[in-house]
Amino acid sequence: MSDNTPISEERLNAFIDGELDATEKNEVFEALGKDTTLSQQVCELRQLSELVRHAYDKPPESEKYCKPEPRRMSMWGRAASAMLLVGLGAMLGWQGHQPPVQQAGPGTHAVYWDKDHAFQNTDLSKITSQQGTKRVIVHLNTSSIDKFEQALDTAEQLLETYADSELGAEVEVVTNASAVKMLRAGYSPYAARVRALQERYLNLTFLACKDAMDHVRELENLEADVTLLPDVDVTQSALEHILNRLSEGWVYINV
Amino acid sequence: MNVITTLCKHQQFKHTLAEYRGNLYRIAYSWCHNPALADDLVQDTLAKALKNSSQLRDPKTIKAWLYRILSNCWHDHFRRSKDTVDIDDVVLIEKTTPDSSHDRQQIIDRVRNAIACLPMGQRQVITLVDLEGCSYIEVAQIIDVPIGTVMSRLSRSRKALKARLLEAEVEDCPNVHRLRTVQ
Repeated sequence: MSDNTPISEERLNAFIDGELDATEKNEVFEALGKDTTLSQQVCELRQLSELVRHAYDKPPESEKYCKPEPRRMSMWGRAASAMLLVGLGAMLGWQGHQPPVQQAGPGTHAVYWDKDHAFQNTDLSKITSQQGTKRVIVHLNTSSIDKFEQALDTAEQLLETYADSELGAEVEVVTNASAVKMLRAGYSPYAARVRALQERYLNLTFLACKDAMDHVRELENLEADVTLLPDVDVTQSALEHILNRLSEGWVYINV
Repeated sequence: MNVITTLCKHQQFKHTLAEYRGNLYRIAYSWCHNPALADDLVQDTLAKALKNSSQLRDPKTIKAWLYRILSNCWHDHFRRSKDTVDIDDVVLIEKTTPDSSHDRQQIIDRVRNAIACLPMGQRQVITLVDLEGCSYIEVAQIIDVPIGTVMSRLSRSRKALKARLLEAEVEDCPNVHRLRTVQ
């Protein structure tokens, strides 16, 4: 790191967590000596860590809790679940060939996984009012610029719509196949907008599929991993991630 | 002789597990903010750890191994109870504070409330790092994500906490000025 390179927030966090080696620490110490804003940031980060430790120093004692009964599935039940997984694959494929979502927001067509009725097609406002969930996956699997813009609009509208509710909405924009390009540093035409949304909505997460990134790496004969935009999370398999989220009660929207 | 050695090892393992119980409970509570559920998750974790003790190859990695089991139990709980309890319906923190409660409890409530508002992935990372002192590589192994994701989640979670705790404090009290670092 040269003197002119700004210290990223991630590096600053690594500094207070003791994750840097001696050379990197020296660089941060030097930067701190020159920049009072930076040293204030370090103080604030340390203060936050102390607050978290303080808050859970003495967690309350356990009280009576009714553990939900595990759902014991019969052989037929297990077979039905396996069919559901196959169905999800088909559903995702079918969704991918539907006309693109024109109107993002609570009226958007969405899919969720109901244990009794398999996959349910509904609009977002219905599912949010029925089940109370405001956790939504916005899935994109093509590198179309228009579609990525739609995905961003959808995410933004959802977060705005539910901003007033107690815990707000939680939205994940999941990209796989060629869509990972839209989150790639140096390639994405929406880098600034992604950053602005990340700054504005703390419950918005962008995810890129590692399998798709590896594919790009192979195609382009790169030595290192594909570099993503800042604060973009990586999941090994987007499909598996979506399956997990659906099983946890999230709602799925394909753009 | 082998039987005695095995029994001793088993006892030692149970003793080690018992030592981790408090830490596991604290982390479980910081994720779910429900004391009884946290207790349940710890019970499940310890039972699974005992049952699968042979899977622990290196005793030095027991901490990360146990938290990984706890993380799996937490995700299993979601899957099991999603039809009856929605995470957004769970009252994570009692917002009403009795008049008699003192400042310390108010600070604790505010921090716990801010943590409860974080997305689960960020909540897991920040609590493992700050409460248990896990290294980034350990956290990556526990929740099964790349280390870059750990760093980005940690950075975002602390930014969110800062906005909710430090910056909100200044907005709430316009007459209060923050201390500046003097060099």
